[in-house]
Amino acid sequence: MGLLQGASELFPVSSLGHAVLVPSLMHWSFKQSDPSFVPFLVLLHLGTATALLILYREQWVAIIRGFFTAAIRGQMKTDSERLSMLLLAGTIPAAVLGVFLESRIKSLFASPYEAAGFLIANGILMLGFEVLRRRAERRAALSGESRDEQEAHFTSAERISFRAAALVGACQALAFLPGISRSGITIGGGLLAGLRHEEAARFSFLLATPVILGAGILEVPQLFSKGVPVGEYLAAAGLSGIAAYASALPPALLQIGTA
Amino acid sequence: MGLGVLGIVFIIIAALYAVGVLQILTTETSGPHYKHAVLFAVLAVASFVAANFARPKTA
Repeated sequence: MGLLQGASELFPVSSLGHAVLVPSLMHWSFKQSDPSFVPFLVLLHLGTATALLILYREQWVAIIRGFFTAAIRGQMKTDSERLSMLLLAGTIPAAVLGVFLESRIKSLFASPYEAAGFLIANGILMLGFEVLRRRAERRAALSGESRDEQEAHFTSAERISFRAAALVGACQALAFLPGISRSGITIGGGLLAGLRHEEAARFSFLLATPVILGAGILEVPQLFSKGVPVGEYLAAAGLSGIAAYASALPPALLQIGTA
Repeated sequence: MGLGVLGIVFIIIAALYAVGVLQILTTETSGPHYKHAVLFAVLAVASFVAANFARPKTA
């Protein structure tokens, strides 16, 4: 489960959907309706979030520093300060929906059939993004622009509007549905918001960390009850982090869609 | 000004959820709701940050 979660988290295939579906397909002894199942999944996500934190550690130091500097000063002067505020704006929609729709979301985790349905919906969404992209490519080809020239029309994560950041954040909230890919839908949302492909992937990965850490702080303590194999779960989270780190290392992943 | 007031309202809501007085949009009908409290505390911080951005700056 840890390897599966970590390897699939950064690809637009919904790690959550697979985490719900695969145990049923393989007849593993996980009970998706068990109260510890969702905290376990959140723990696995914490493993991947830790990998993302390590990968983007220098950016995160600048972002956290930028947040406090800008918040106290009341002005955004640097890119890191602006990015920190955009991440805050992008995190709020998922946080609000996650807390208020918690029980409804958790009920979806108990059904592999619903996860399978959302995986199909995810495939259709990805296909839709691909169709939109190819249409844009055809238009660009007609005007004789190279790939770099096309990308130059779009912007970096630090330059998008707060409304666009909130839109991408709202897209991220859709990924609470097991089967809808968080990275896929936020990268797609980022592209629609005017980000370059590489920047959409970077913004997506940065946006994942606060929500996963927040969910971890609120959900993981529930694991520390009697009868829960915490050691095994922690080992799975470690494997999840290693798999996520390994899958994010190839630079091609950070250029999703640009090839 | 408005954002600052909103921040204070969020803090009050967070406190009410934390002590279990507020039960709106919760799954359990009694007891404290720390997740809701943390959410409204975060919203309060965001409101205060936004209020600080909106504050007129001296040159």
